[in-house]
Amino acid sequence: MTATDAPGHLAIRGLTKRYGGFTAVDGLDLDVARGELLAFLGPSGCGKTTSLRMVAGLVPASGGRIVVGGRDLTDVPTHRRDMGLVFQSYALFPHLSVARNVAFGLEMRGIGRAEREARVREAIALVRLTGKEEHRPAQLSGGQQQRVALARALVIRPQILLLDEPLSNLDAKLRDEMRIEIREIQQRLGITAIFVTHDQVEALTMCDKVAVMNGGRLEQLGPPLDLYERPATPFVASFVGRINQFRARAAGGIVGLGEARITGAGPAEGPVEVMIRPHRIALRPASAPVEDAEGRLNTVAGTVARTTFAGDVLHYEVAVGDAMIGVEEATRSDAGPVAPGTPVRLSWRPDDTLLFAAVARDGRMRP
Amino acid sequence: MDERKPPLGLILLALPLLAFLLAPVLITIPISFSADPYLSFPPSGWSLRWYRAAFTGGAVLDVFATSVALGLVVTALSLLIALPAAMALVRLRWGWVSAIESFLTAPLLLPAIVLGLAILIVFAPLGLLATFPGLVAAHLVVTLPYALRILSTALAGAPLAAEEAAATLGASPLRVFWRVTLPAIRPGLAAAAALCFLVSFDEVVISLFLTGPRLSTLPVWMFHHVENEADPLVAAVSVLLIALTLVIVLVVDRTAGLSRTFVK
Repeated sequence: MTATDAPGHLAIRGLTKRYGGFTAVDGLDLDVARGELLAFLGPSGCGKTTSLRMVAGLVPASGGRIVVGGRDLTDVPTHRRDMGLVFQSYALFPHLSVARNVAFGLEMRGIGRAEREARVREAIALVRLTGKEEHRPAQLSGGQQQRVALARALVIRPQILLLDEPLSNLDAKLRDEMRIEIREIQQRLGITAIFVTHDQVEALTMCDKVAVMNGGRLEQLGPPLDLYERPATPFVASFVGRINQFRARAAGGIVGLGEARITGAGPAEGPVEVMIRPHRIALRPASAPVEDAEGRLNTVAGTVARTTFAGDVLHYEVAVGDAMIGVEEATRSDAGPVAPGTPVRLSWRPDDTLLFAAVARDGRMRP
Repeated sequence: MDERKPPLGLILLALPLLAFLLAPVLITIPISFSADPYLSFPPSGWSLRWYRAAFTGGAVLDVFATSVALGLVVTALSLLIALPAAMALVRLRWGWVSAIESFLTAPLLLPAIVLGLAILIVFAPLGLLATFPGLVAAHLVVTLPYALRILSTALAGAPLAAEEAAATLGASPLRVFWRVTLPAIRPGLAAAAALCFLVSFDEVVISLFLTGPRLSTLPVWMFHHVENEADPLVAAVSVLLIALTLVIVLVVDRTAGLSRTFVK
């Protein structure tokens, strides 16, 4: 494969992994530009970790190519791929000190003592663990251990940094800190990286691009904003962020919802999946004056079925015809929660209505 | 480790059992200090003459040296053979792994006397009777299952992710083994080595078939000595053996942790 075939620093072409009759990864195609942080996002079993392990060479691919900087690595063994991998379980060497753990990759590369020590010191400072050099992994907290793992992977200056759910074993507060720290280090070093996660917040907040995977296939690849605002499939819409979903019928671009008629972006005819994000819907008591005089918004009438106060936001469930629509509003000091049983009017911009052709359970289009 | 005190009933049950198991062993200690020319209890007088005899009589030292050399060679070979075998069994995850493992541990299930007879029949035409290589081969049959079991357990518990991490950091499979796997299974190796040595050192039944006037092991020599002479020399040698065994077990316990390596 030539460099022109591989526009990205990392190019993955038709990458496939089969275990007997089961296809774990099915023809994955994507590029990662130099210095970019790409997330593999998806539920467990979607093939994201298997894909990462194929890139690292820990799992042999059943088909497809992996090309880094124009060089085909598909058949190169792990130890000659020059990739740094950070594991969910940290995977530190328990019998070695922090400094020796970090130095391991440099020793394997036969780098001389003076340079080795300088680079180890630098890497340990990068992850803010100076002073812990002689500690054993067991003496460190989970967050510190993960930072050692990060330093160990970075000190070899790998072509690609691979992160396999690196934050999953950390508590929530530490996770937030590490998220920022990993992103900062990755950007400062300008290193190309892949970040495997099942947590959409990690993918959206840290990464330049997100590859949403499901059932071994790539559902959508794009920047976080695109994924959120313009999901390509109902799966992406429901996996990234929370969303209302119900089935309806479209005719001439108009969708019937209870008594109301709404419009949105998507197929004009036939059965459709209607998806609307709860916080894009405005909820007003039916008695309040109509603000949308021009009728540009989608507006439906309903009755509040449940009100939940969650501090920052109020969650409502509103019965609209047969459907139950979730609404999320920021709490305000000048207006209290709307009580259950109150007739209300829901309105939102037509652009916020995502319409998808309804798909049967077996994955085919409905007639 | 659980530091709870065991209930009184358990102690009351365990103490007689322990006494029952240890009494015959402990009785060798007073006999070994006997001044009598024959085995009797209680001795009519005390002396160190049998310890002197053990260290000055050429026969004891000769067979002791044979047994130690045999134990060391058998231990080294057991580890060299069992470690790659255990690696293959644990890591390759072949479908017929359990069949291979059963095959390799089968010698433990056979009566030693049958095994000894079988080995005698096979070794006789090969000229391996009463030879050092013959004894090594016969002992390996018995020690390999132990070594394989312990090393398989140790390898199954070794951190696979750390090995993968080492590979991504540029370590070839051989270096991964030396730098990551081996340190992780060191307690298992120590336990397997100690057990192999003790099993070989202690082996009587199979060795009986393979030893002769030219070459004998310490336990076989003791067996014949009791038959022929019945003097307290064997008691003195027994006490020395108990001491040696305790030292080995203690060393394993201090370096690797006995309960950690054997009980798993």
